[in-house]
Amino acid sequence: MPPVDQDVSGPTDAPLPAAVTERLESDDAGAADGTPVLTVSEVAVRFGGVAALSAVNLTAMAGAVTGLIGPNGAGKTTLFNVISGLQQPDGGRVLFGRTNLAGISPHRRARMGIARTFQRLELFGTLTAGENVQVGLESAVKWWQWRHVRSSFPWRRGPLSAGGESAAVEDPGGPGSLAVTTADRLLAGVGLAGTSRNQASAMPTGSARMVELARALAIGPKLLLLDEPGSGLDDSESEALGTLLTRLAASGMAILLVEHDMDLVMRICDTIHVLDFGEVIASGSPDEVRADPAVQAAYLGAGATPGSAGGPGPDRADQEGAGS
Amino acid sequence: MNQFLEFTVLGIAIGACYAISATGLVVTYTTSGVFNFAHGAVGMIAAFCYWELLAHHVPVALSLVIILLIGGPVLGAFVERVFMRRMYGASAERPIMVTLGLLLILMGAAILIWSPTVTRTVSPLVSGTFPLFGVNLPWQDLIILIVAIVVAVALRFLFYSTRLGFALRAVVDDPDLLTMSGASPNAMSRTGWMMGFFLAALAGVLIAPTLGTGIQVDTLTLLVVNGYAAAVVGRLKNIPMTFVGGIVLGLLVTYFQNYAPQHLPQGIGAELTAVFPMVFLFIALVAMPSVRLRAVGRLSTIRIPRVAGGRESLAAGVLFIVAAIIFSLFFGPVFLSQGLSTVGPIAGQTMVYGIIALSLVLLTGYAGQVSLCQFAFMGIGAFCMGKVAGGGSLLGLVVAVAVCAAVGALIALPTIRLRGLYLALATFAFAEAVQLGLFADTRVYGNQGLNVNRIVLPGLSFESDHAEFMLVTVVFVLAALLVLAIRRSLFGRRLVAMNDSPAACATVGLNISFTKVAVFAISAGLAGLGGALWGTLQTTVGTTDFDIFSGVMFLLFLVVWSVRTVSGAFLAALTFAVFTNVQGLSKVEGLFAGGGIILIGRAANGILGLEWFADRIRLPWVKRTGTTLGAHDDITGPAQGDFGLLEGEARAAG
Repeated sequence: MPPVDQDVSGPTDAPLPAAVTERLESDDAGAADGTPVLTVSEVAVRFGGVAALSAVNLTAMAGAVTGLIGPNGAGKTTLFNVISGLQQPDGGRVLFGRTNLAGISPHRRARMGIARTFQRLELFGTLTAGENVQVGLESAVKWWQWRHVRSSFPWRRGPLSAGGESAAVEDPGGPGSLAVTTADRLLAGVGLAGTSRNQASAMPTGSARMVELARALAIGPKLLLLDEPGSGLDDSESEALGTLLTRLAASGMAILLVEHDMDLVMRICDTIHVLDFGEVIASGSPDEVRADPAVQAAYLGAGATPGSAGGPGPDRADQEGAGS
Repeated sequence: MNQFLEFTVLGIAIGACYAISATGLVVTYTTSGVFNFAHGAVGMIAAFCYWELLAHHVPVALSLVIILLIGGPVLGAFVERVFMRRMYGASAERPIMVTLGLLLILMGAAILIWSPTVTRTVSPLVSGTFPLFGVNLPWQDLIILIVAIVVAVALRFLFYSTRLGFALRAVVDDPDLLTMSGASPNAMSRTGWMMGFFLAALAGVLIAPTLGTGIQVDTLTLLVVNGYAAAVVGRLKNIPMTFVGGIVLGLLVTYFQNYAPQHLPQGIGAELTAVFPMVFLFIALVAMPSVRLRAVGRLSTIRIPRVAGGRESLAAGVLFIVAAIIFSLFFGPVFLSQGLSTVGPIAGQTMVYGIIALSLVLLTGYAGQVSLCQFAFMGIGAFCMGKVAGGGSLLGLVVAVAVCAAVGALIALPTIRLRGLYLALATFAFAEAVQLGLFADTRVYGNQGLNVNRIVLPGLSFESDHAEFMLVTVVFVLAALLVLAIRRSLFGRRLVAMNDSPAACATVGLNISFTKVAVFAISAGLAGLGGALWGTLQTTVGTTDFDIFSGVMFLLFLVVWSVRTVSGAFLAALTFAVFTNVQGLSKVEGLFAGGGIILIGRAANGILGLEWFADRIRLPWVKRTGTTLGAHDDITGPAQGDFGLLEGEARAAG
């Protein structure tokens, strides 16, 4: 099936659904802007003999966009896997608010408010875009709850309120309608209004990335980990994405952003950490990082560094780790 | 003490056969990523060919050369080229289905060629015995031992001291890297399949003479299947551990066989011995380290059959029942009676098999979990129905569903953290253990089969064949409505999501383990309901009704039609019922199931999902679109326009 031509106008200024913001407001860990939501200290990951991460330290603040940049294979995705629980670290610890995340399974971390997207898309390809978001919205529903059964009978639902979401919240008329309208609103929030019925695997990459973002937002995260959300977007879409992320951060969310689009990173990030060969080689404001000679050598500039010449790169380590 | 030595040597010899067979599995798996379920059947075919050649007075040495050095490798290369190469990159359950299809083809062909009624004994390579510590030991055992050692040493040399071995090990780690360094992954995988088939054939030829009662298709296949357990001990990659696993299993089985029955009540010992290897396999699976969740990194691009909405499926169900009533009136009571024609049994069994198929649509179609033990649940359900309250009561149905759901959850619980292949293996082990240990016992179904009465409710009797047919039809429709409702529900979305990307599921806060156990239990319960109704339909159930290979055959029929749709379930049940009931067709059932699955190849949605099929033949109940709609089919708005566009695009592309 050829990619379906869609009107991707980019994120809009529509107000975000309450589902996204309510947890932030009713929250104790990382409520106030400027407090660390995520503290990564001395985290190390080894694949065989290769160190993918060695003693990484960084923090992400509430209400700020924290950038994480570095060459391919620097260990950025591995760090995301450690934070979201898909990879056990060989050393160090990760704090979420004041909670140590060691030994907490990935789905519990998500319920605590850690959401992420993936560098290589991980959509539910056989579901529609709307259903993708719904799965995120409904993830807190327990199996013994009546909503489970009610959701099987769509014709029992009350009329949908097309208007503001407050109406939907006050008069749910069945759980399905709330989830469906909220999903639609979330999709509209990332610039995908009207696409909720498209099968996810048939969407173009740029749109699919936005569906993933909407699904991540659906769990009402306090910490949002974004793995290259800008790849596959054109300039105007990328700019709209920047605006959206800034707005999300302004609502009190902590955002950790891995991105290769330097314009985007420099424009919206409050703090930037530079990762190379599994180590943080520089941290600071965009201007400080840009001026850092080590960063210029390793990444921004084209100059060769002594470290990049020999030995198997961490990039290989990532792949081997995934393959074993 | 002498006896102990004798048993030890015998155990090591049998274990060495398992080890050789298992090594073949491991070599194939590591080089191509495909677990060859047909491995046991290859060994079986080799043993039969060996018998055939000897019967035609071909010299032993020449026979061995023909079978081991020519037949096995050539067949292996053929299978790899024709069946397997198309599978690379397909979803995880597809290679499982294709190798199962190959298993059925080989078994079906063997039964056609070598009639099961003839007794065939294979004489040992060297007959006679030799004395050791005052005990006379058979030469055959010694030969097996020597061959096993030679195989082990040769493999060690091959993998660690030759260029080919280096490439073979590299292909496991990273096929892309291997391509870049100039070797061809296809060639490596072909080598792996040729070696695997050679080792399977070797194991079959070595083990055949140890069977005193002659070689049989089923027993020989299952015997080589014991190698699965050894391969799992080696975690499908470690050859030395695989050898250890094989020898330990061989010793345990032999000791158990010869010492345990004396201490156990009459009749139980034999069953436990038969079940032992499968229990061993199950324990080995449970002891496997859990698999790390990781991103899949690819999107399934298949077009998914639309899920009918609530009103729509209800209307279709009513229409189906009306059609069944017209059908039954048209054929009349004589045709529908279970004894007088084949139409009656086919009609009734279609509905019951349909319920089993629906349990697989839920489990395999939606959730992507492969179960090879639905027929075992069916048998347990029938047993509960017959034993509770004298049979024929509603309580029996309830107990059947409850027991099967509980057993299903128990099976799924320890293996749920493993990948799909291991769950499939665990269900295989369970199905075989139930068949050999439970269904084969005459105390379970009795010598003449177990009587199951038809259901009689106050004021409502289903004793006539006609009423029974209507009962199973209505239950089938209700089950179909239930499965569709589950698919449309929140739980259904989770099932599909879990199948698409477990890692993404976890990162939105879903507990995948619980979802897996739940769907397995529901599916087992549904299969138990089908089994209970099977009992009432047949009125007697026997040991052969729930054969494990029939279950595999049934699953393949379903996958060929379409494992994701209710229509596929109905058509698979109908086909299966026709094949089993029509004289002549039942012999070639396995060939059809296996051939079908190989022809359908990678088409994930089966025949009903094929584009040419959907384009040309529009069944009233199969509507094709690119999306699932059920969950919110009463939304109106801009989405409608977009959806129309999508559908238009799809049609233009097709």
